[in-house]
Amino acid sequence: MKYKILKALDIAGLQVFDPVVRLCYGEEPKVQLQKIGQFIIIPIITFILFLIFWDYAGPRHTTKSGEVPTPAVVRDAAVGVLTFHERENIKGEDLLRSGPQRDAALAEVEARITELEPIAKTAAAELKETELAAREHLKSSTAEINALYRAKRLEFRDAAKERQTELKVLADKTIDGTEADRVTLLEAVAADRVQSAAETEEVQRLRDERSAIENAKYPPLIAARQTSNALEEELQFLRKRRDFLTGENRDLKITEVETKLAGLESDLASAADGAAALKIATSIQREQDNLATLGESTYSKPWTLPAQIDRSVRCVFVGFIVASLIAIPLGILCGLSRIFMAAITPLISLFKPVSPIVWLPIIFIIVGGFIPDPSDSALLDIFNAIPGLAGMDVNPAFIASALTVAMCSLWPTLVNTALGVASIDKDHLNVARVLRLGFFARLFKIVIPSALPLMFAGLRISLGVGWMVLIAAELLSSSEGIGKFVWDMFNNGSSQTFAQMFVVVFVVGAIGLLLDRIMIVLQRLVSFDGAPTAL
Amino acid sequence: MINERYLEITELVKAYPNPFGEEVKVVDGFNLKVTQGEFISVIGHSGCGKSTVLTMIAGLNPISAGGIIVDGREISGPAPDRAVVFQAPCLLPWMTAWGNVMLGVNEVYPHASKRERRDIVAYALSAVGLADAMKKYPREMSGGMQQRVGIARAIALKPKILLLDEPFGRLDSLTRMELQDVILGILNRDKITTMLITHDVDEAVYMSNRICMMTNGPHARVGSVMSIDFPRPRDREAMMSDDRFFHYREQLLRFLDDCEHAKQAPKAPPDSSDSASGDGPAKPPEKTNFGQRMVASFAALF
Repeated sequence: MKYKILKALDIAGLQVFDPVVRLCYGEEPKVQLQKIGQFIIIPIITFILFLIFWDYAGPRHTTKSGEVPTPAVVRDAAVGVLTFHERENIKGEDLLRSGPQRDAALAEVEARITELEPIAKTAAAELKETELAAREHLKSSTAEINALYRAKRLEFRDAAKERQTELKVLADKTIDGTEADRVTLLEAVAADRVQSAAETEEVQRLRDERSAIENAKYPPLIAARQTSNALEEELQFLRKRRDFLTGENRDLKITEVETKLAGLESDLASAADGAAALKIATSIQREQDNLATLGESTYSKPWTLPAQIDRSVRCVFVGFIVASLIAIPLGILCGLSRIFMAAITPLISLFKPVSPIVWLPIIFIIVGGFIPDPSDSALLDIFNAIPGLAGMDVNPAFIASALTVAMCSLWPTLVNTALGVASIDKDHLNVARVLRLGFFARLFKIVIPSALPLMFAGLRISLGVGWMVLIAAELLSSSEGIGKFVWDMFNNGSSQTFAQMFVVVFVVGAIGLLLDRIMIVLQRLVSFDGAPTAL
Repeated sequence: MINERYLEITELVKAYPNPFGEEVKVVDGFNLKVTQGEFISVIGHSGCGKSTVLTMIAGLNPISAGGIIVDGREISGPAPDRAVVFQAPCLLPWMTAWGNVMLGVNEVYPHASKRERRDIVAYALSAVGLADAMKKYPREMSGGMQQRVGIARAIALKPKILLLDEPFGRLDSLTRMELQDVILGILNRDKITTMLITHDVDEAVYMSNRICMMTNGPHARVGSVMSIDFPRPRDREAMMSDDRFFHYREQLLRFLDDCEHAKQAPKAPPDSSDSASGDGPAKPPEKTNFGQRMVASFAALF
């Protein structure tokens, strides 16, 4: 059992936890503890140090979107993102609920609303009070400096006026005066300017000081606002739920239309004349159409981050699969034939360094050429019919992003596959020659298996590159996904959305790490020599 | 009726161009006839072109001039009727022992039923003593076991000629002896015409019907051919205690030593004239040569 766990860890590339398992089985506790210290505790400490530094440095830089968020703020933002996602899901479910389920949900919602409403009211009142208190606080804290500021301003204004009158006297003297008088005037004007500048600066300094005090946070107000906002948000959500469970509920609407239809049908049976019958029949037809649309209607959820992450991951895999389908056969051909390799080397070297930012607009336009009308396109229907892409709302932007990923991530696989195929052991080829293997037997029994480890190393790099490229591509193409989320948050520009962008950093990092791990495991599974892969 | 010219090599030449556009003939005028079912060893100093001859018979190395006829047909290119056991086992690491043997069997017996093919593979692997290790991967096997798979892969093809290219060169002496007996055991059952390339004198004497001694390259050719008339099956201990065994050995060593002389003589004429006046082989012209001569004269004491 112990060795099974250790082997699983080894294959999964999680050798770090090896000492923990060994310790659990009581194998050389001292050595294992030392290893845990070195390879688990120290990295954790480093991470904590990083968090501490971030927590210290973040608030020291103020931007248009507020201070750089601290880890705690980012955590709250992550919770906010998740709450939003959950609430949207619940709303979607509510719209479709029927029968006792609907009744139960409605009862629950009503109970919660009655429970929350007074609390929210108190919170709102408290907020108002706190706002008043804050204003008072501001007034009292700025009173002193305000008085000083006003006094200084008046004082300086009077002083300036006085100096002007003095200057006027001096100037009058120069009209019939001597050279000395003129010199005195010039000196006095210069002195006046210096004096005015000094005074302006003084006033400015006071004003800055005042606005600093005005802008200073009043913690009770922030707390009260947060509580009140949270309550209001939840109430709003509950009221929406109530709507979805009552008036807007699909099942209720359907029942309503059905009763109406039944009424109309009986009306039709007892219609007085032809004109009335025709009118009723038309209404029946319209209601039936209405019923058909209702039956398919669902809540059109806005994109939430988890849904966008899902779409991004699927998008990167579409791109990655396209890249692999192109790169692996080309790579094998390159490895098999020097002529072919020489032929396409210029293309590879030329296109490899091109940035995704350049590919995306080009691919976007080309894809757009294939899909003139996104609402009615056979190509999009094909994509939407692919099992993993159902409900992903494949649009030209999605395809363009996926193809950009493919364009940028096929090179490592191509080059590595070519290298793997070209560097097959001569002895293995001799075996193939002695056995007179046919082309395909040689390809599938010898060439591809022996190139697999390098091929997978290439695929691993490709997937990593693809994931990085995808975020940029989505950001540019506005294809719903993580990139689009970042772009929306950037354009929103509030301190909350700023924190949500930090959430994305960790999400993207974690998913990239996970994808890499998966590829490592695959690579280990196909490497026949059992040699450990570089991590 | 036994075909006395089952494998016939006539005036075989292998020439490589050197950087100055001249052709260097590594093997020049190699002639040999091998009877069906015979075990022939080719022995010579390293670098003399033994392996070149073998790879040419295998078809892995193009022939510059001359011809090789196997069972009445001139060869062109490699084919499974001339199975090779290489010095390195050359197993495909992503296949089990079973898979490695089956790969060749599938190609050679395309019309056999699945069951027949399985029987062939199982027989070949049991013949080399790997009945219990069929599902093992090369990385899970020792060098000796891997080489056994290599032998099984070759004999499973039911070749006309089995070509052994120093197959025991990389093994320790105990494993080497085991594998020599494995091969002799197989050959006692299925009389396959076999050519063994070796530079181990004992191995050649123990295993062969005839030993073909090659002169040193370039322009290597057959120096002489010696028949070993021990009966088969052979018993190592009995042979080792037989005087004839040492007689054959001595002859082989003398031949190899003479080859060395012939190679050295034109290279260092002043030294050889020196040694002619002195006490012969005791004063060697070169230091490396000295060791080899000592071994040779030591062997001659027996």
